[in-house]
Amino acid sequence: MIAALRRRIRHWWVARHPRTDTWILTQRNIYIVPTPAGFVFAAVLMVMLLAAINYQLNLGYVLTFLLAGAGFVSMHLTHNTLRGLTLHLKPPQPGFSGEPLTIEVVLTSPTRLQHGVGIGFEDSDDPKLARSHDVFVDVPAGGQTSAHLSLVPAHRGVHEMPTLRAETRYPFGLFRAWTVWRPAAKLLAWPAPERPVAPLPAAPAAAGDAAQRRASDSGEFEGVRAYRRGDALKRVVWKKAARTGELVSREASSALPQELWLDWQQAHLPGTEPRLSRLAAWVLAAEAAGVAHGLRLPGIEIAPASGSAQQRRSLDALALWT
Amino acid sequence: MNRWVVSKANTAATKSPWLPHWPGWSHLPRDARDALFLLAVIGWTLAPHFSHLPWWCPLLTVVVILWRARLAVANAALPGRWPLIGVLLLAMALTWWSHRTLLGKDAGITMLVVLMVLKTLELRARRDALVVFFLGFFIVLTNFLYSQSIAVALTMLVSVWGLLTALVLAHMPVGRPPLARAGAVAARAALLGAPIMVVLFMLFPRMAPLWAVPQDTLAKTGLSGSLRMGGIAELAVDESIAFRVRFDGGARPPSAALYWRGPVLARFDGIEWSRLEPSYSSAPRRGAQLRVNGPPLGYEMTLEPNRLPLLPLLEATPASDADAPRLDGQRAFMRGDLQWSTERPVTDRLRLTARAYLDHRHGPLTDELSLRDYTALPPGYNPRTVAWAEALRDEPRLAGAKPAQLVDAVMLHIRRGFTYTLTPGTYGDDSEGRFSIDEFWLDRRQGFCEHFSTAFVVVMRALDIPARVVTGYQGADNELQDSFHVIRNSYAHAWAEVWIEGRGWVRVDPTAAVAPERVVSSRTLRPQPGVVVGAITALNPALMLNWRKTWETLNNHWNQWVLNYSRSQQFDLLKDLGVRSPSWEDLAYLLIGLLSGASLIGAAWAWWDRHRRDPWQRLHDRIARRLSALGLVAEAHEPPRRLASRARGQFGAAGEGLAAQLEALDRQRYGRHASARPDPAWWRGFAAAASAATATRPR
Repeated sequence: MIAALRRRIRHWWVARHPRTDTWILTQRNIYIVPTPAGFVFAAVLMVMLLAAINYQLNLGYVLTFLLAGAGFVSMHLTHNTLRGLTLHLKPPQPGFSGEPLTIEVVLTSPTRLQHGVGIGFEDSDDPKLARSHDVFVDVPAGGQTSAHLSLVPAHRGVHEMPTLRAETRYPFGLFRAWTVWRPAAKLLAWPAPERPVAPLPAAPAAAGDAAQRRASDSGEFEGVRAYRRGDALKRVVWKKAARTGELVSREASSALPQELWLDWQQAHLPGTEPRLSRLAAWVLAAEAAGVAHGLRLPGIEIAPASGSAQQRRSLDALALWT
Repeated sequence: MNRWVVSKANTAATKSPWLPHWPGWSHLPRDARDALFLLAVIGWTLAPHFSHLPWWCPLLTVVVILWRARLAVANAALPGRWPLIGVLLLAMALTWWSHRTLLGKDAGITMLVVLMVLKTLELRARRDALVVFFLGFFIVLTNFLYSQSIAVALTMLVSVWGLLTALVLAHMPVGRPPLARAGAVAARAALLGAPIMVVLFMLFPRMAPLWAVPQDTLAKTGLSGSLRMGGIAELAVDESIAFRVRFDGGARPPSAALYWRGPVLARFDGIEWSRLEPSYSSAPRRGAQLRVNGPPLGYEMTLEPNRLPLLPLLEATPASDADAPRLDGQRAFMRGDLQWSTERPVTDRLRLTARAYLDHRHGPLTDELSLRDYTALPPGYNPRTVAWAEALRDEPRLAGAKPAQLVDAVMLHIRRGFTYTLTPGTYGDDSEGRFSIDEFWLDRRQGFCEHFSTAFVVVMRALDIPARVVTGYQGADNELQDSFHVIRNSYAHAWAEVWIEGRGWVRVDPTAAVAPERVVSSRTLRPQPGVVVGAITALNPALMLNWRKTWETLNNHWNQWVLNYSRSQQFDLLKDLGVRSPSWEDLAYLLIGLLSGASLIGAAWAWWDRHRRDPWQRLHDRIARRLSALGLVAEAHEPPRRLASRARGQFGAAGEGLAAQLEALDRQRYGRHASARPDPAWWRGFAAAASAATATRPR
């Protein structure tokens, strides 16, 4: 009951923050509270004050008040560490669900060198994303530094970027200053490719015109030939290129068709997600084999092609298909 | 990197089992360097305690710290939990064995040191590090229980700085930050906090101890209720004021009659004299049995804080209502040995009035069992002096002599063959103090009051005459200071009392027999300078004099402003600020007022500062607003040169001035000699160009 209430308060509080990819830290969006160590420090100071009173030690007073003053100043130093920083989220690259996905945050300090700034995910009860721990960086004076976080999306599709948190306890660890940042960027998770990979579907007998043209390009034997524009980089024999300086391409195995349609219908599996996983695995396999591949999903058709752009297009379609 | 260090350490360990390979300070892994630094700080903090800890504790400290340093350099694993618990239990047993308790000041400090040292073997998580820091601050405080001198204060200042530096290092998680940077941050925090410290120190209301603490710890100087050879020598050169006295009617008794009574020491363990706790508890306690004659002598005394629970009143000040000291804030009572004590140590300047009778007798008139305490001598100590006394009694001319005659005979002996000096050297070095009085009484025969009084009491006791040592002050300055006579700490004195049947306790001052001027004229005798000081004095007397003067002034200020700063000084401060009758509450109000004022100023600054941003960004926003008025929408990511080209494109020739300005700004920010902040003059040029563009742009 209380936990639920706290969750709601926390949710309301986090939701107050606007979503933005560039977050400038000012007086107004930095929070600061004493850490448990800070409370212990205060208790130690009280005991020291009692000792100074009871033993009438004037130097005991001096020491206690010196530490109290330094502790108080450290509150401002902790707050100053964050204030003035600019956090910027680079557009996150998509990745497969179930695999770690890297997020890059760029921190800029226009003024001083700032030590011990930690970037991490704000704790929440959302179990859909497994997160990495905090990453600590020093931000150089008048310069930038990057912090790399990773998280693992649990399923395919578009995810809201989880709430991030930048915090510091520098210099004494008596206070913790932090800010809550809700980036606007979205994360795209492709379906996890099926493992082990099912064999690629055979080319249908009635292949399209493009397939025939490609087929005639290839000779009757497996071997190499001079590089032609449009050949996939994967097919270039780099060893030979390094030795002779001449670009040659590997000719595709004739067992594989030069053009392949990856069809929803061919992925004979029950359920949507396993099918999408199999299609994703096929996209990767076809691309690795250098075969032009097209994708047919109910309502979507992507014409065959090869290259990373085609792979990206296909995977994005699989991720977003509903 | 880490693997390399481990394997390197292992190969070195095969060569020498004790000393790991030392890669050089700058090549140490960061963890090892931080650990070594923290160990050095801990060692520095603990070192001043070594002289008053039981012998095994410094040994344990040194061994553990060295071992921990070895583990750090070798990058080896820390010991497990069970060996540590074993060592801790052993240390607790040793503490019990040394102190017979685990509580109290000395045992407590021993345990604190042990805990601190063992905790270094358990530095794993950040929480462990914080425990070390907090223990460290507390140990710094305990050092002040033993001494609050300038030297100790400076040593502990270094400790605090070191601990804060280590704390900063623990919160720099990235890379290998240089020690100097962490040290600078710690120093900066402490310096910025110094004003808070000063205000709190000056205004935090000083109060009496909240509950009773063992009072032996508070002695600043001398008269602490125990005496061993060399104890008063420190006092003899301390020219600071102990108390001031004004006699009623301005009549000052001769110096020889001014004995200010402090602790009476009757228990002798062979080395040290201390107060007697009567062993005959069944003996009737009849108090001081003071008998006075003659007119009373009224006096007013202002006692400087001496951190001792005693009043050095003039002999003899009775406890009757008319004569007993009247004072504020403390309750005073007279002990059975005529000494006046207070409930709490005197930590603030104390004013009192009392009446004394210079002609007085006290103690029992007839022999009683309790007097046997005053003839006890520990067996095995100073056998030659005891033998000398027995030989004296067997002399034919003293056959059947009364105690008074024996006293006279011994005083005569002292007058004939002894020399008074404040620098007699140390006695009993060879015998660990067992024969120190033998050495003084029979061999070297030079010393000052503490030697004469203690040796005299030992001789009396050997003659079976009850005797005891009395400590206190003797004499007073001849010159008046604001109608007060000044008694300095250098007037600290020790004399003897013997019990004579029919008269009670009688004061005998053997020092007066040797150096009558010490007692009669109250002129203190300067100690002879040591060899080094003597050489410097011979070479350059003025330099030595200057040094000494500077040092004394410094020490004086230290005493006045730091050690003796108390409620009366706080009230004086309030009076200077215009408070007519200062009180505890006024101090609290002033303190709270100052602190809340400072907080308000801080809050106001924070409010004013809340929009502070990078000046370049602020300027960019300003430019964007101005350009949008012209119809050019500037995006946040567009640098000035891009805006310049857009202005050219949009306004044509009319935008040329504007574009030139923007390009100048671009050079200011990104050019070869880029400046940290925008030039404030630039905006005027830009605004002029913008107005020109507004006026001339094609509509």
